Amino acid sequence: MKTAMTPASSAPQPFLQIVGVHKRFTGVHALRGVNLQFQRGQIYHLLGENGCGKSTLIKIIAGAQPPDEGYLVVDGTRYEQLSALQALSAGIETVYQDLSLLPNMSVVENIGLTSELAQHDGRLARTFDRRALGALAAKALREVGLPADAEFQSTLIELLPLATRQLIAIARGIASEAKFVIMDEPTASLTQKEVDNLIRVLNGLRSKGVTVLFVSHKLDECYAIGGEVIILRDGQTMSQGPIENYTKAQISELMTGRKLSNERYRNSETSGEIIFEAAQLGRKGQFREVSFTLRSGEILGVTGLLDSGRNELARALAGVAPADSGTLRLRGETIRLRSPIDAIRYRIGYVPEDRLSEGLFLDKPILDNVIAAVISRLRGRTGQLDRARARQLAEQTVADLQIATPDIGKPVQSLSGGNQQRVLIGRWLAISPAILILHGPTVGVDVGSKDTIYRIMQSLSQQGISILLISDDLPELLQNCDRILLMKKGRLADQFDARQVTEADLYHALLSEAA
Amino acid sequence: MNSIATTSPPAEPAAAQPHLGLRARLTRHPELFTLALLLLTCAGVGAINPRFFQLATLFDLLHSATTTGLFACGALVVLASGGIDVSFMAIAALVMYSVTKAVFAWWPEMPFALILLVGALGGTLLGLLNGLAVHTLRAPSLIVTIGTQYLYRGILLTFVGTMFFMNIPPSMDRFGRTALLHYQTSDGLRAVLPVSVLALVVGAALTWWLLKRTMMGRGVYAMGGSLVIAERLGYRLRAIHLFVFGYAGLLAGVAGILHVSNNRLANPFDLVGTELDVIAAVILGGARITGGTGTVWGTLLGVMLVTLINQVLILVNVPTTLQKVIVGIFILIAGTLFAFVRRR
Repeated sequence: MKTAMTPASSAPQPFLQIVGVHKRFTGVHALRGVNLQFQRGQIYHLLGENGCGKSTLIKIIAGAQPPDEGYLVVDGTRYEQLSALQALSAGIETVYQDLSLLPNMSVVENIGLTSELAQHDGRLARTFDRRALGALAAKALREVGLPADAEFQSTLIELLPLATRQLIAIARGIASEAKFVIMDEPTASLTQKEVDNLIRVLNGLRSKGVTVLFVSHKLDECYAIGGEVIILRDGQTMSQGPIENYTKAQISELMTGRKLSNERYRNSETSGEIIFEAAQLGRKGQFREVSFTLRSGEILGVTGLLDSGRNELARALAGVAPADSGTLRLRGETIRLRSPIDAIRYRIGYVPEDRLSEGLFLDKPILDNVIAAVISRLRGRTGQLDRARARQLAEQTVADLQIATPDIGKPVQSLSGGNQQRVLIGRWLAISPAILILHGPTVGVDVGSKDTIYRIMQSLSQQGISILLISDDLPELLQNCDRILLMKKGRLADQFDARQVTEADLYHALLSEAA
Repeated sequence: MNSIATTSPPAEPAAAQPHLGLRARLTRHPELFTLALLLLTCAGVGAINPRFFQLATLFDLLHSATTTGLFACGALVVLASGGIDVSFMAIAALVMYSVTKAVFAWWPEMPFALILLVGALGGTLLGLLNGLAVHTLRAPSLIVTIGTQYLYRGILLTFVGTMFFMNIPPSMDRFGRTALLHYQTSDGLRAVLPVSVLALVVGAALTWWLLKRTMMGRGVYAMGGSLVIAERLGYRLRAIHLFVFGYAGLLAGVAGILHVSNNRLANPFDLVGTELDVIAAVILGGARITGGTGTVWGTLLGVMLVTLINQVLILVNVPTTLQKVIVGIFILIAGTLFAFVRRR
């Protein structure tokens, strides 16, 4: 296994090398030959848009997924692929975006047991030293600024607020003698004070020779931390170098780099009347005082970071997780959306972000998926499903939305991502919607399908359907919308005319600290 | 993965752990509620029939709870790992009947300790089969163990025998009659605490130690908390699956042998069909059906509560059919309460 690597220059041997790594998922080439070197005692910022391959790269380093091609060299040892345990044993710790804490276990167990496992090769048939575990956890907790007493240590994770959990996940990452710490958006729910503390922790790690791979959308933080940037786009490394050599605008441009494909799909102008109004809409702890109007046939974009409340707003408007304050008006009439059934009654369709778990019945035929929202309207005289009308509706949908399938009896999972998304849109078209809420409609679909979905959106808008497009894909918003609303920390922070704002401006506004 | 946005500034970490309220305490220690139910039932029965409060009642209770308690410890481990096992009674029946029959035929004088060991081994093997199937097939453990339940029972009735015999090996008979403690009650009866109660003490203590003090035990809870996260953190799921079902099988094998020696009867139609009673006791003891929680203490309390209702309510003239109603109501109350305190 051991392979002596000859360094190219007099530079010391890097802790981790990634050589020619490729990764493909069905229909998506996530990483296209990535080569990277990580020196000891350096902080790296991995930057890139959603879907650029960041998460995949992290998972390959952490041993959660094997590469399809290429290999890794960790501390001089070559690995074709790493297992989770091998990565941990080699000193690679990961603070995942989803935190990966076990909710049913205590703080001390979450922090201490992982390194205990890694140190003993994953052996389970042994007892463990509880006092050593407590001491290890206490040290790590103090470093991230959390209480280290026994009572806090024995608290279950599920009883703690999100920000505290995030700090605990970081504490776990630094608890053991880590040599390489990956932090995937570790500051998403931290206050400024906690972030400052984290930066102090990172500098401490750097001085101890630990390598840190830091993933964040918050460029201000990256500059404050310092180190090298690695910019990833479409599964390839675009640029690498000391962060102070780049301006924010340069970084944005390298990350998005879509100047070529800036053609606007939106060509008609909307002058329809206002059909939908939200006033002072709020849901406790998630978003508040959100007011906006929607004209008939208008495409209104909503964007913001993960913690901005945009997802929660979408779910509230769909009746999934209803708003608890404020008013909604549809064609002047006040309406309440307490459940998805209410929303369907008012002809508000919702295409959720995660079509796999929230939207589609994957193993059921296309037919069943298309008619799901209108099934009560397809009743025959005896209360049974009118099969002929159902088939007709499903075949019409397949034709209208150009869904590539030979047979509407085929299960939805036999379709590609883009076609699956179209089935889901088709379901909501069946209710002849007045308003369609599209939540990340092109996440995980290929370029060709994206194009089709955009064209469908435009044609729907011309038919007078108003569309609320919730997305963090900035080019998508700019190409398709009339107006774009920007959310921050649960409030509407700004509004843009999509014809006039540039992507760089929008990106800047998205990431700037001021709310 | 979506994270929930907080609009209000997040609480300072120090303020993140308020003084434990009743709700937090119940979330952490649902077995407190089980204890309360148990005490309440005792007080109720005792108020109606003061004869309830005597040592003999406790002896009876412990005697009846011995095998249920052992089964429950096994069921707890499986539940804590996020699975469910409904085959343990079939394992116990197959083991107890086959071993008794074999010993009686080939080595009637076999010492009891050895018989117990053979029973434990047999149970473990059958349990490991469950674990292997659950892990390699990646199938829901409920489905797998429903399958093996039929399989084990079918094998027992087809290939081993259907006749029950009251002639059991003398060492088993002797063990069943050995008293740990005994005394004369005021009405001249002999109250006996059989020595088999020790098996429950040892079994419960062992289960507690395994779950609390070994990495394997922590792995069981980790897997029950989230299979995906546990795997990502480096826990070996195969080993944990094998352990969990093997251990449940071991306890079932031991409990089966004790069941024969306590009743001085080996009946192949016995036990099967009472799995839910045991699982109900574990749930009453605070373990979540979704996995990742549950304690040995809670389980023992749950077993005592169910045993009390099933065995002792006779004392206050509650008909046996009504006892089922009471168990059902208790489970409903406990289940909804546990779900309520967890909702945030």
